[in-house]
Amino acid sequence: MSDTATLADRHEIVVDEVFPHTLEVLWKTLTSPGMMGRWLHMEPTGFRPVVGTRFTYQTTPAGEWDGVIHCQVLEATPLERLVYSWKGGHEGNVGYGARLDTVVTFTLSAAEGGTRLRLVHSGFVLPKNEIAFTNMGQGWTKVVQAIDAIAAEQG
Amino acid sequence: MTEAATIDAVMRTLADPTRRAVFERVVRSDEITVGELTRGSGVTQGAISQHLKSLKQAGLVAERPEGRNVYYRAEPEGLAPLVEWMGSYAVFWRERFADLRTLLQEIDP
Repeated sequence: MSDTATLADRHEIVVDEVFPHTLEVLWKTLTSPGMMGRWLHMEPTGFRPVVGTRFTYQTTPAGEWDGVIHCQVLEATPLERLVYSWKGGHEGNVGYGARLDTVVTFTLSAAEGGTRLRLVHSGFVLPKNEIAFTNMGQGWTKVVQAIDAIAAEQG
Repeated sequence: MTEAATIDAVMRTLADPTRRAVFERVVRSDEITVGELTRGSGVTQGAISQHLKSLKQAGLVAERPEGRNVYYRAEPEGLAPLVEWMGSYAVFWRERFADLRTLLQEIDP
């Protein structure tokens, strides 16, 4: 997301790391349903690394949301890029289980000592109705540390 | 919460280490004045005032004038959007990457 004008109301999460393994091995962990289930802790139903494929993840329900994440493969370039939509949540939820209409992009590239995997989870929009935190107490310090980490990642 | 209190505004505001230190001091106090914040900080009162202004614009602090003093206090709601929502996903993906690293070690030692 390069358009700074949109950054005020839409935001993205970026995690970028180098793994000491080949592109082929990384691609397999990203696209084989059994492998995906082992590191994502939710096995996809109906996934194939083919553009247009619709699949789901089942996670913990919240409120009126059944916990199903609906995805569709938007791009699948072997050993390079896997992009899928990630939609779920419900209007009635705030925080966990809030309405999500996002996109997950995995990009692989050769790097010194292995393979770089860059994840971008984009399209987060500030929920309209936030519950006020009134009794955070000692949780504040942790909160600020968490933001520090997030801010550092955002660069 | 003001219009400016978006996730991005909060993140940008707290990305500055000095401003974050000011915010942490406000958080630790019930209420605190600019003078109290300046003492022992190694930063000028003008700089502290600028940081407080930014924090206020981001919805992170509120002010209460009383006599010749202005008292500042933390506004917990200001952090809610970022922490409750996006923060949980940032943590989610960092943890998943750690698990991916473990899995890779197992299948491709």
